[in-house]
Amino acid sequence: MATVQVSEAEKVYILHGIRDDLRVDGRGCEDYRHMEIETDVVSNTDGSAKVTLGHTAVLVGIKADIGKPRPLVPNEGYLEFFVDCSANATPEFEGRGGEELGTELSNTLYKVFNNKHSVDLKSLCICPGEHCWVLYVDVLLLQCDGNLYDAISIAIKAALFNTKIPRVRISTDEEGGKEIELSDDPYDCMRLNVENVPCIVTLCKVGHRHVVDATLQEKACSVASLIISVTHKGTVTCTRKVGGGSLDSESIFEMTEAGKRVGKALHAPLMNVLQQEEHLGKKKQKVGFLG
Amino acid sequence: MPTDTKRVRGPEVSQSPSLFLCRPPVVLPSQGPRADGRQRDQVDVRPVFVRCGLVSQAKGSAYIEAGNTKLMCCVYGPRETERKDETDMKCGRLTTDMRFAPFSCPERGSWIQGSQDKDFSLMLHESLQPAVCLHKYPRSQIEVNVMVLENSGSVLAHAITCASLALADAGIEMYDLVLGCSIRQDGASCVVDPSYMEENYCSSASSENQGGLTVAFLPSLNQISGLQSDGEMTEEILTAGVRTCIEGCYKLYPVIQQALAKAVRKAAPPPSES
Repeated sequence: MATVQVSEAEKVYILHGIRDDLRVDGRGCEDYRHMEIETDVVSNTDGSAKVTLGHTAVLVGIKADIGKPRPLVPNEGYLEFFVDCSANATPEFEGRGGEELGTELSNTLYKVFNNKHSVDLKSLCICPGEHCWVLYVDVLLLQCDGNLYDAISIAIKAALFNTKIPRVRISTDEEGGKEIELSDDPYDCMRLNVENVPCIVTLCKVGHRHVVDATLQEKACSVASLIISVTHKGTVTCTRKVGGGSLDSESIFEMTEAGKRVGKALHAPLMNVLQQEEHLGKKKQKVGFLG
Repeated sequence: MPTDTKRVRGPEVSQSPSLFLCRPPVVLPSQGPRADGRQRDQVDVRPVFVRCGLVSQAKGSAYIEAGNTKLMCCVYGPRETERKDETDMKCGRLTTDMRFAPFSCPERGSWIQGSQDKDFSLMLHESLQPAVCLHKYPRSQIEVNVMVLENSGSVLAHAITCASLALADAGIEMYDLVLGCSIRQDGASCVVDPSYMEENYCSSASSENQGGLTVAFLPSLNQISGLQSDGEMTEEILTAGVRTCIEGCYKLYPVIQQALAKAVRKAAPPPSES
């Protein structure tokens, strides 16, 4: 992860501030930075979203492909995640430098979505045992300023909301070969239900308190963080401790409870914003990458 | 990386015969005793067999067997760092590597490390790092290699325990031993130290609270150094699960301490009273 060097005096300053529930930029311990979400930014994809959280920028593109379902679950489609750390973010990511971080992020995403309810996989099935939709979720990190997990999960939720999968019909022709028919109407598509898609909340332990949405400076002062992924009902789909320090069990319980509270409160405004953007339709002003 | 160039593989479209087995739908009962006779909802870990110092070439090594899960760990170091540009002047580096033997799981795995292996290695690294006094080994590298010989459930938890034993056997200074314990939440009941069947086949139609949790714990400092969960659980179940895992670690502690003391005594027997 891109790191900054923080001097001892700065660390003490940040620590004392957080102890009094006041962070360097004036936020409280459980406040997020200014977040901007825009969907449908890349026209070649089936669904896309760009999220800017403070100075962290993440772009997610989803492409739906027809593939063969997994042998053990023949009547379900599946999702494939890939996270690419672009060298634009920091020179450390040049070449294969960002591969480790990318693998760590993709593995966590697989765990987060590894349950029956996040995405309705049965709706992705076309023909059991033979054809199914495979959603390739590709995440691109454009700028890195801390809190990658949160930004990526919000971007994935927005992109899945935006995904339009064309309706197909598989018919058999005379010789028994399968033919795939796509409808002519470009607006005849299937949308995904993203109600249950979880959002990830990262809580960093700084001193005796925990902070949500840590910047790189705050991250440099913390020894360990807890990543918790929460659905809108409050169910926890994945937790993970990251960082080279250890945590007290009481802190873990406190952080899980705070993470669940913050995560649950994140979903309703997010869905509102996404639906508002959808309703704007043609009147939507495209901000793109220069806004 | 060794690839299998000598064997003639079947055609590309061939699939494993285990998929075609006429298996009755595997529905493990969610009440009553488990398949191997242990109890649900109680901290009933499998009895472990532990030995240190099996690999003579390694600085430290350990072997652990719990039920049918067998794994071994070797520790090399402290050594000079291989890549000079990563040498840290102030503290040492810990590298972990966890591999599965291809014959360890019911389905044959491959030699090439998949993303799951890398994920386990990363979890192992995060769990061990708080316990090792890396500041005492500047400019050095300590390598921990875990090899899973047979995967019969709860592999990460036992790998953590085995690795910390091997580190102790190698004489690396640590703040405390790291013990691992895992549970599987199945509807309303939880099973501690799940076997392979219990981990991979979810029973019953209950769609709430299905998931697994692994905790790495430092017993004398009472700190959690590693936590990983997946599946879906409510927050209360998660908290209860963490407490259960901590109890499981405490149960394991005396056995591990005894094995370590035995290995130390064998290596350097105390002076005889004469």
